Amino acid sequence: MEKIGLFLGCNIPFNRPDIEYSIRFFLNELGVEIVEMEGAACCPAYGTMPSLGLLEWATASAWNLSIAEEKGVDMLTGCGSCYGVQNEANYYIHKHPEIKEKVNEILGKVGRKYDGTVKVWNVINFLYEKIGIDKLKQKIKYNLNGLKCGVQTGCHNLWPSKAFPSSEENTFFPTRMRQLIEAMGGVAPHYSTITDCCGMGALRSNAPEKSLALFKKKLDIIKEELNPDLNVIGCSSCLLQFDAGQSLLIEQKKIDYKIPALHLAQLTAIALGAEVDKATALASIPLNGVITKIKGGN
Amino acid sequence: MEEGGVNVIDLTQADESFVKELEALGADELRECIQCGKCGATCPMALAGLEFFIKRLVHAANLGLREVLLDDSSVWGCQSCNRCVEICPMDIKPYEVIQAIRRAAVKVESCPANTYEGLRNLYRFGHAVFPKGFEERRKKAGLPEKPPTALSFEDLRKKYQEILRNTILEEIAPFPLD
Ligand code: SF4
Ligand code: SF4
Repeated sequence: MEKIGLFLGCNIPFNRPDIEYSIRFFLNELGVEIVEMEGAACCPAYGTMPSLGLLEWATASAWNLSIAEEKGVDMLTGCGSCYGVQNEANYYIHKHPEIKEKVNEILGKVGRKYDGTVKVWNVINFLYEKIGIDKLKQKIKYNLNGLKCGVQTGCHNLWPSKAFPSSEENTFFPTRMRQLIEAMGGVAPHYSTITDCCGMGALRSNAPEKSLALFKKKLDIIKEELNPDLNVIGCSSCLLQFDAGQSLLIEQKKIDYKIPALHLAQLTAIALGAEVDKATALASIPLNGVITKIKGGN
Repeated sequence: MEEGGVNVIDLTQADESFVKELEALGADELRECIQCGKCGATCPMALAGLEFFIKRLVHAANLGLREVLLDDSSVWGCQSCNRCVEICPMDIKPYEVIQAIRRAAVKVESCPANTYEGLRNLYRFGHAVFPKGFEERRKKAGLPEKPPTALSFEDLRKKYQEILRNTILEEIAPFPLD
């Protein structure tokens, strides 16, 4: 049986634990053993230790990576930042032996070490590569019944591709999420701004109006080109923007439509038979139509 | 300098020592930039309308315009998306130039207040993002009140804090590390 270290980060366990429930559910259904990463901390977020120094970044990430290494597992995360930050830290640790040495000096003070053997996976690449389209197809309990999905992979899941364990053939034309959704019976067309940033992250914290305006631009295009039943998101931070951020735009009367949004982990869990109440517990845009469509045709 | 951007570059402000400082802080390929503008063409900060264009930022960094760069707030709006790193033909890693500027700015306390909030949460709880009311949200998703992270293990959190104290955080944190 395959095993994976579940790296939670911050936004998933504290803001959107319905994603945590969903990841746990789909891993169980797909026969992957979950190894808990006791004591794991923040990835750490780009605006924290990475903005203080390369060594500070590498050291804080290596704390997490060393927990997985000790348990002999790779890590899986549903958050784009956790994926980007820790893969980039890994990349720097490999590239700069002097940093690796200093990191280990610091870790050594608390009896830990990191050799550099752990890979960090996101939900997209894990499902695509470790599980595979065929197995996913076989395991589906509820076909998506032609549910039309707008796809958001998320910046940190795409770039810098050289730091990642696995990557899209063309990162500026991502297809993996589209293929996964189609394998579950949905429809997931390409659209012109598929790789555009949703505006969540530092921009949202430091220039909230500009962030929401950028998001609206993207959402309007999705509405116009696809008019989807659901947006499916590969990153928990993007999901906060597509769900709670969209609610803000509605409140501010900046848009007059509503497109529900789920993380790929949530959609996959539902298709595998998860309890919908738990898998979507924190969604702010109502999902009723979507669930009826998925559960209706079986 | 016009508000929020560098529209006229004042060469008398150029400071070679600042270029060296940025190189040492991670912008190690900075000098190879050919000002092709590809980074800017793909940057969401430009799309969102932040004043300081990444191509110009790299230019200003190459000239060592210390004051301009340390005062600039755009660097803190960078999404860390790494599109620029992916696309740069010279492998400058423009995002690392941004990070180097941030690292220089933090040393002279020229960063937004929310930077410290994230660092404080990270140190105290092991989580930079630590929103109130999470116990209730976790219950709704059928999960135990606390996740099995550093938050739940005081002994491990203490070790994590010790490694953080062995970094520059010890020097720059405007809050007690005990
Ligand atoms: S940093 Fe790279 S992409 Fe940007 S202007 Fe310089 S060479 Fe071109
Ligand atoms: S990492 Fe920052 S500078 Fe580079 S493209 Fe993204 S937002 Fe722009």
